[in-house]
Amino acid sequence: MIQLCNVQKYFGARPAVLGLNLEVKAGEIFGLLGHNGAGKSTAIGMMLGQVWPTEGEVRICGHDVTARRQEALQKVGAIFEAPVFYDFLSGWRNLEILSHYTGRTSPERIREVVDWVGLTGREKSKVRTYSHGMRARLALAQALLPKPELLILDEPSDGLDPEGIHEMRQTILRLHRELGLTILLSSHLLNEVEQLCTRIAVMDSGQKVFEGTLAEATSKERWFRLNVGDFKQAVELLNGAGLISDERDGRLVALKEGIGGEQVIRLLVEKGVTVYEAAREAETLESFYLSLMKRREKGR
Amino acid sequence: MFYYQLKNELWKLFGKKRTYIGFGMFVLGQLLIIIIFRYTPAQHTIQRSIERTGFDPGQYLSMLTFSTVMVLALAVTLMPLFVALVGGDLVSKEAEDGTLRMILSRPISRVRLLCVKWLAGVIFAVALVLALGLFGLLFSSFWFPVNEGMFVFIPEKFLNVYGYGEGLQHYALAHLFMVTKACTIMSLAFMFSCFNMKPAAATILALSLIIIDRVMMMMPYFSDIQYWFLSYHLDAWQLMLSSPVPWWRLGEALCVILAANLTFLVIGATAFQMRDIKS
Repeated sequence: MIQLCNVQKYFGARPAVLGLNLEVKAGEIFGLLGHNGAGKSTAIGMMLGQVWPTEGEVRICGHDVTARRQEALQKVGAIFEAPVFYDFLSGWRNLEILSHYTGRTSPERIREVVDWVGLTGREKSKVRTYSHGMRARLALAQALLPKPELLILDEPSDGLDPEGIHEMRQTILRLHRELGLTILLSSHLLNEVEQLCTRIAVMDSGQKVFEGTLAEATSKERWFRLNVGDFKQAVELLNGAGLISDERDGRLVALKEGIGGEQVIRLLVEKGVTVYEAAREAETLESFYLSLMKRREKGR
Repeated sequence: MFYYQLKNELWKLFGKKRTYIGFGMFVLGQLLIIIIFRYTPAQHTIQRSIERTGFDPGQYLSMLTFSTVMVLALAVTLMPLFVALVGGDLVSKEAEDGTLRMILSRPISRVRLLCVKWLAGVIFAVALVLALGLFGLLFSSFWFPVNEGMFVFIPEKFLNVYGYGEGLQHYALAHLFMVTKACTIMSLAFMFSCFNMKPAAATILALSLIIIDRVMMMMPYFSDIQYWFLSYHLDAWQLMLSSPVPWWRLGEALCVILAANLTFLVIGATAFQMRDIKS
């Protein structure tokens, strides 16, 4: 559905995206992660033909976006952070206006989408009277009008309250389940990505620093929780024996490839370290992301 | 599809309150001018001008004469301001608000989008010129005789008098040609609005260029090369009020105006096509 091949983007001399290769397959919910300024929005801009790549090729639904933008975006819907509309017009009129940039849309189709997103009864009100949540639903409605196969969501939960975030999450799952859409989700909310996405990519300083399934991300590092008498001493012993590769938070150690928890416990007990608790730490996307960024920071 | 997109563009344009500032100010300006003419000795100046040329003021102190006086003043001052305001808003306001990003996530080409927007701007310019002409007639008809002749005097250019029917015809033709002036100023502002700049900057740039051009055209030292300046051709609509109408001169002006509009559109479209649209 989405293919980026060695894509570069410079704004003047400043690099925004460097050598980005990315592939999102049909039917996936793909998460794009990264801090502010990492290059996510620029990458999304290039996918939608709003930002021209300096180098490389961007293909959407099999079409080169730079050369055949119209064909490429025929079956694409998009939502951006803090959705903006023509506030002085009604929600219905906004939907008509935006959908006509794709093709002629019947009132029945608009009615169907308005119903689907739960805006029925308020569609004729001016958008300036809408709450943030209603605007988010309207944004979703405009994205769904052309019956898309691919949905690009750039920070869709931005500015929503917890209830709104939950609702948006359920809606994304519904879109995937009921309409079978392929979804690219760019978000800061790691737990949202964790609950929704099947695969993720992490960007930092315009470069992709990780791409893989959620399971690959969370099992990439095997963290082991140690509740011992003297953590510092335990780390020194384990490091000396070559059993661990990293430690953090005064309680976690990362086991080296092929090392089992029982080896760690045995060594500590043999060396006279009191072990109160030792257990495998379930890795979250957040801990994976933070340690990835920490390592990148150290490497600079 | 183009029709629907144009209709939507007009919805957006005429749905905004600020679009009506121009119409509102024309109504107010014309009402004020006509009231001043009616209730102060100002109309005696026109009366004396008519007398000096040997015509009967009773025949020419009319709705058409006062409408023309108002139009001549407002077409140089207020009209450029309002068309530049709308032209400068058409693209850059959408870019500033973020709605342009929403539009450009759709499969519409940038050139087509610009064409639709420009056409909406042209329709606004036509509406504004129509309003200027019609409100002028309406307000003048409240206080001055309707079925009388028209007296036109443009210093250093020409002086003419017409009967009611002929005068009305010249008045209508002048407005028709004035549309080209309104469209050109709108297109200039529109061109700037296609660049990455704020709507106010696009409007100010366009107005500044038009004012500089007019100032240079009016400098006595440049009188021999007046035709180099766009304002010289933009003012050609006034010639529709003269008799006989110098059609060759109007044709020449029309060619220059068309070329200017085309240039502004091409530059604007190129800049818009090349630019990155970011939040």
